[in-house]
Amino acid sequence: MKNEQISAGHAAFLRREKKNAAVIRAARAGVLLLLLGIWELAAATEIVDPFIISSPSRVAATVAELWKNGSLLYHVGTTLWETLAGFAIAVSLGSLIALTLWWSERARKIFEPYIVVINSLPKIALGPVIIVWFGSGSAAIVFMTVLVGIIVAVMNMLGGFLATDKNKITLLRSMGASKLQILTKLVIPSALPQFIGMLKVCVGMAWIGSIMGEYIASKAGLGYLIVYGGQVFRLDLVMAATLILCVLAAGMYALVALAEKLLIRSPK
Amino acid sequence: MNETPDTPVLSFENVYYAYHTKGGETLAVRSLDFSLREGEFMAVIGPSGCGKTTVLSLAAGLLSPFAGEIAVRGRPVRESAGKFGYMLQKDELFPWRTIRKNIVLPLEVGKKNTEANREKALSLAKKYGLGDFLSYYPDQLSGGMRQRAALIRTLAPDPEILLLDEPFSALDYQTRLTVCNDVYGIIRGEKKTALLVTHDISEAISLADRILVLSRRPATAVALHEIGFEAMTPLERRESPCFSAWFEKLWKELNI
Repeated sequence: MKNEQISAGHAAFLRREKKNAAVIRAARAGVLLLLLGIWELAAATEIVDPFIISSPSRVAATVAELWKNGSLLYHVGTTLWETLAGFAIAVSLGSLIALTLWWSERARKIFEPYIVVINSLPKIALGPVIIVWFGSGSAAIVFMTVLVGIIVAVMNMLGGFLATDKNKITLLRSMGASKLQILTKLVIPSALPQFIGMLKVCVGMAWIGSIMGEYIASKAGLGYLIVYGGQVFRLDLVMAATLILCVLAAGMYALVALAEKLLIRSPK
Repeated sequence: MNETPDTPVLSFENVYYAYHTKGGETLAVRSLDFSLREGEFMAVIGPSGCGKTTVLSLAAGLLSPFAGEIAVRGRPVRESAGKFGYMLQKDELFPWRTIRKNIVLPLEVGKKNTEANREKALSLAKKYGLGDFLSYYPDQLSGGMRQRAALIRTLAPDPEILLLDEPFSALDYQTRLTVCNDVYGIIRGEKKTALLVTHDISEAISLADRILVLSRRPATAVALHEIGFEAMTPLERRESPCFSAWFEKLWKELNI
């Protein structure tokens, strides 16, 4: 029902929409530049001690130095690998557990209090146990990442599965659908927006988990750089690693947003 | 029971049904008897909350009575999978599926998704004005067209009995009159047997050959009427002088 001929009124509306979007993009970039400018100025004029707050130019110089000595890709690669592995395991295992709990009401009722307790538990409390179990390598960090993300994945997906429209389930049952058919034809497709929402939350959780893991047990990675920088009072290194983290987390979120655009049709 | 020429398509014999909750037991249907003849359109009306939808769920085999017998052509309803087409209050089209994929959904579920069955279902869609909209998504269609698509989906597996649960109640009044006319034409055109539950007396008179009046909960039959409007469309029935007389009679029987 698309109208190929665009009226003058509609063309003006589209121009306004385009202009609004451009203004928002420019304003976003402006806010960033303004913050960086204030930060640089505060450091340059020593209103605040640059040793404490560093500065954008010092951060850029630190990143360039890390790049030159070849350690930037090593540390970024380490953290990225741990985060992505933990994210993938938490999301897939969490979705699978949620499916099982949807399938069996009895299992759901049995495990509900355990899920609530594990969700409330500060995962950092398990740090010493994790080191004993997995040592101080990547395995411990991936485990911590999974631990932080998995309950969020379970709770989000279970909520999505249980919110399936009851009337649509009745409709499928009236067609003679089996439980597996109800799951594959209705419950999973209708929970797709919830799945994307869960991915978005788990992106943040995965970065929290991997950096937390690197704080307690690591020899490489951005979390390691932050801890090391703090210990030797190299705030430039702390700020540089933090900013790289921001960029990576934003990139991962953008990928999920792209997946959302590709997988979910927006209403016309 | 063996099938004879007089065997009804669907029969309820002394049916009882109760809902169980932690708060107690609620008798929803009591000693309900009625039967549906081949090719007829029966409407079931009753006060709000009397158990009309429960009657339809029992007929579809989604609920089981604790006493009495429900039979399809003389055989227990639990042995009659695939004989019913169920249409709910809202169209319940799946928003992530195109109209084409929505229409063939019952074929996929019933493992009847053959080329021939798909063609037959899609030809129905074309016959009733949805041919140009098969690649559209439900949110791109009007409420009336969505309801028509829902009916074609219900007809796709060629069910023997259509169970209609207030299928027009979610539509605005004007659309409801038009869609009601369309749906009546399609059901008559396809020579289907239909059981409609509705709270709307006018809708029942304008569509049905016979009307079963139910009591307040627990639902039981209060009266069964032959309406005698068979040759007329729903819109023509509404203009008939007998229409208001039927309305008054049924209104009194409902005793709301």
